[in-house]
Amino acid sequence: MAADVRTKVVSEIGKIVVGREREIDLLLMCLLARGHVLLEGVPGVSKTLLANAFSRCLGLQFTRVQFTPDILPLDILGGFVFNLKNREFEFRKGPIFTNILLADEINRAPPKVQSALLESMQELQVTVEGYTETLLFPFMVIATQNPLEFEGVYPLPEGQLDRFMVKISFKYPTQEVESSILKRNLSSIDVADINTVVTLAELDALVREVENVKVSDEMIAYLARVASATRTEGSLVLGASPRAMVQLLRCSRARALLNGRTYVTPDDIKAIASDVLTHRLTIDRAAALKGVSKDPEAILTAILDRVEPPR
Amino acid sequence: MVSDQVILGGLLIINLALYFPLVWAVFKRRKHRVSASNLADAFNGLELALKDAVPDLPAGFTWEEAVARLRASGVQTKGIDQALNSYQAYRYGGLPLPDQDFLEVVRVANMLGGTTAAKGRGGRSVGG
Repeated sequence: MAADVRTKVVSEIGKIVVGREREIDLLLMCLLARGHVLLEGVPGVSKTLLANAFSRCLGLQFTRVQFTPDILPLDILGGFVFNLKNREFEFRKGPIFTNILLADEINRAPPKVQSALLESMQELQVTVEGYTETLLFPFMVIATQNPLEFEGVYPLPEGQLDRFMVKISFKYPTQEVESSILKRNLSSIDVADINTVVTLAELDALVREVENVKVSDEMIAYLARVASATRTEGSLVLGASPRAMVQLLRCSRARALLNGRTYVTPDDIKAIASDVLTHRLTIDRAAALKGVSKDPEAILTAILDRVEPPR
Repeated sequence: MVSDQVILGGLLIINLALYFPLVWAVFKRRKHRVSASNLADAFNGLELALKDAVPDLPAGFTWEEAVARLRASGVQTKGIDQALNSYQAYRYGGLPLPDQDFLEVVRVANMLGGTTAAKGRGGRSVGG
């Protein structure tokens, strides 16, 4: 069933978003594993369109919030307003009360707003002045940021980056994909053309199924060896946190399920390790100056090439 | 004048010099042949053969990576793909070891040159 859902979602979104199958896969894995996604890419590489199409084909509520330097936590979470009719304060829900929240240009918002949002992402609830309101199910934040902006931005600190299950880097499309995009745009395309292909009940069942995907003790030991290798790697000052490894495990289970399996293989872990771990690794600047690779992805690949998986 | 015995002896030595390397090669090949009694043994033999035959394969290789590498070098892997699914279900999914045809896995392991080693999982002998 999960593999069918994956095929349907990829094909439906493919109607308007070209050449982003891997990104769609990662979004779906993340949703099933109850994680959040950070999309990084220059403007115009279909980040927002993909997020919108994704929620539409799953029939989920979608809200987009443009993050700006003057935004307040209240603008995201909601707050108490005075109701003149009954002369009482009542909680007015903010845009976070949705299924898919697109936090556009998250690094433009001040740290106070970023941390308010990220707390809710972790706890799946909002607490304002002692009043707690649970978020909808499923709930996923898709945040975007432009890697080339340095002015007027508040880069997410390591602790907050750690809350995102995966970071998907949107690169420019290949020439072939670019041609397909141009051809597709010869006639008007609209996100409204996307049909809902999965019901909420199916999605709920899949989320539960992820928890039944088997992870052998040997696979757990393999993950622990990978974690340890990132922490003892000389060219990194910050390796993978225990939370990162838990998220890698959850995401691997979702990947296994979407590939029609009921157990995790080392390929599941290796296939997504870069997406789950790279944004949490911090390069040692001193090592980088000595000519050691400055690319966390290359360092992680070298680690994965070294650590022997169960065979 | 050279006696017949010397000629015979010389011919014998020439024959030995010619055929010994051939016999030795056959013997060595037989010794290194992978033989397996089940799917797990077959994959253990293939793993050892891969390590011997493809020294640049990283220590962290997975089965899918190894099979992709074989496929890229022109090896027919259809039989291995099917067997691998069953093996992984046993190995990682805790399902019982299937009574599946593993000859294709053994064939590829031997095609790679077999192995000089060793013991299969569960103590079964893999090398000849």
